[in-house]
Amino acid sequence: MRLLVVEDEPRISELIKAALERAEFVVDTVRVRADAREALANTPYDAAILDLGLPDGDGLDLLAELRPAGNHIPVLILTARDAVEQRVLGLDAGADDYLVKPFAMSELIARTKALLRRPGAALGTTLKAGNIVFDTIGRDASIAGMPLQLPRREAAILEHLLRRQGRVVPKSVLEEKLYGIDTELESNAVPVHVHHLRRKLQEARASAEIHTVRGIGYLLVETKT
Amino acid sequence: MSLGDFRSLQLRLAVRLAILYVAVAAIAVGILVYQAYETAGSLNDRELDLRAEDLAHAMVTDSAGQPRLDLPSKLAAAYAAAPEDDLFAIRDANGRVIAASPAEFGARVGKWPPAKSEPSYFRLSGVGPEEVGENYYGLNVALRTSAGPMWISVARTEGSDSLVKSLLREFVFDTMWVIPLLMLATLGIGVVVIRNGLKPVREISQKAASIGPDATSVRLPQHSLPTEIQPLVVSINRALDRLEKGFAVQREFTANAAHELRTPLAIVTSALETMDGDGELKKLRTDVARMNRLVEQLLGVARLDAMALEFDTVDLNKVASSVVATMAPWAIAQHRTIAFVGSDEPVNVNGNVHALEDALRNLVENAVLHTPYGAEVTVTVDCDGRIEVSDHGSGVPRKDRENIFKRFWRGPGERNEGAGLGLAIVSETMRAHRGGVSIADNPGGGATFTLSFPSLPA
Repeated sequence: MRLLVVEDEPRISELIKAALERAEFVVDTVRVRADAREALANTPYDAAILDLGLPDGDGLDLLAELRPAGNHIPVLILTARDAVEQRVLGLDAGADDYLVKPFAMSELIARTKALLRRPGAALGTTLKAGNIVFDTIGRDASIAGMPLQLPRREAAILEHLLRRQGRVVPKSVLEEKLYGIDTELESNAVPVHVHHLRRKLQEARASAEIHTVRGIGYLLVETKT
Repeated sequence: MSLGDFRSLQLRLAVRLAILYVAVAAIAVGILVYQAYETAGSLNDRELDLRAEDLAHAMVTDSAGQPRLDLPSKLAAAYAAAPEDDLFAIRDANGRVIAASPAEFGARVGKWPPAKSEPSYFRLSGVGPEEVGENYYGLNVALRTSAGPMWISVARTEGSDSLVKSLLREFVFDTMWVIPLLMLATLGIGVVVIRNGLKPVREISQKAASIGPDATSVRLPQHSLPTEIQPLVVSINRALDRLEKGFAVQREFTANAAHELRTPLAIVTSALETMDGDGELKKLRTDVARMNRLVEQLLGVARLDAMALEFDTVDLNKVASSVVATMAPWAIAQHRTIAFVGSDEPVNVNGNVHALEDALRNLVENAVLHTPYGAEVTVTVDCDGRIEVSDHGSGVPRKDRENIFKRFWRGPGERNEGAGLGLAIVSETMRAHRGGVSIADNPGGGATFTLSFPSLPA
């Protein structure tokens, strides 16, 4: 999978490239907007990582050119913490996600993978967390290679938690997902399904677990070894 | 303004003015009274002169060639009406008494030395009946008459000018009574006038009271000031200009320094992440993480200092749930859990959503780090405009509660994970929101930090 990194600070660019390459991506780096424009026009990248402050202009302008031109490449924006409004602007301009500097490389990789997992994006089929593997087409899960039988609703919850692993998925979002399966939903349906799912993952010795954030929702985190 | 405060310019001016005014008024009244008494005295003398002349005119020589007093009937009636009040005696050049009223006066005057042509005045007592016993004021004069030179003495009771005197006395007493009133009135008028005159000064002092590190752009109004004060105000404003510039430079420096530190720090952070190894490397990573945190907090402080926050209607439920959701993965990585207890209704306050998220993030971070492994930090939104963050740590000792919100403050024996800026950011953010942050003990142990906001006007 081929990524474009648009970042003007050479050391950071170098480190991002190194980190992404360790995660088995192919990475091209450019330093200025003009080069980025050319690279995007000539190469079919699977995703782009875009720093906003570039020597020859704002990264947002580049984004604003891409979308109307019909280029729907997933874009992850890198932005400074004190440019908070820029985040919003970035999402308005068609960015898919943003990451606030300074960030951990592991976070960058996780977010990039998440972008590629989106429907229609490059990583469409298999979701992974620790030893859990979920095939979004066949909708079946396996742990350490052993198939795990899950009812549809639990599978739907697991899929969603995997798509956004490491981040909190609001309970209301999971409810909506279940609503597509069941029109009649009891108020405690999500907690009950999560409870069953969690027990099944534990029994199968999964190396990721579901945490509850009371009042907000759930998140799936790889268990640290 | 207390009357005891004699350093007040207003009062000092008013009192001095009043004293001066009253003193001048008293002197003027004194002179007036003195003059009035003088006039009254000379009026008395003049009347006695006239009487003596009248008596002289009334002297005639009778057929026997003897001098005789022939008073016109009107005068005779007047003297007869009050013989004890109005006295006269006429002697010839030999000292023989020719006429007198009453006779006792004549007898007495008979023993007196000759009168001179220059009038001489006298005081007399004990003429007439014992019970009358009045004091008299009189005149001796030698006058030419148609019956030859005569020595004429006239006198009247001293009390007979009492009308004039009592009028004068009354006037003086009236004036005396008016003086304290006058004093008060002038004092009052003085205070009002001076207060009015000093109003611009009071206004600028009020304005000056609002100047602080977070409001350096305030300047004192220079127009409509008394010319005596204007140069002072102009100089103060210039000093404020220089201070503001100094402040701005300081803030900019902090912000720039933090900003510039970021990139090299990010490089070091990423480089450390890519290295394999344990022990020292792990410690280095922690150190760099702490440095990252410090730089972020410095930037937060600089942001709070530098710009006026843009306010909007903010739902505390959204702020708190977003912060909890963002921080939950980190809290879980720290082996603690975090929970959100929202209010059923939106809790709207006037605020800056980024600043509030920042403040709450700092508070949650603090709570998570002070809570034991496995325990829960709870973020509760209360419908009356409060966010509470409760932990299960050891609580905050009462003596530290004042200091804990100061920049770079650290509790004794505090582990070295923070720079001591987080809670300062919380407190300054709340101050900018006209709210506050308070600390209480948890019933089950630990501390509860409460952010309270002023209620939004409906």
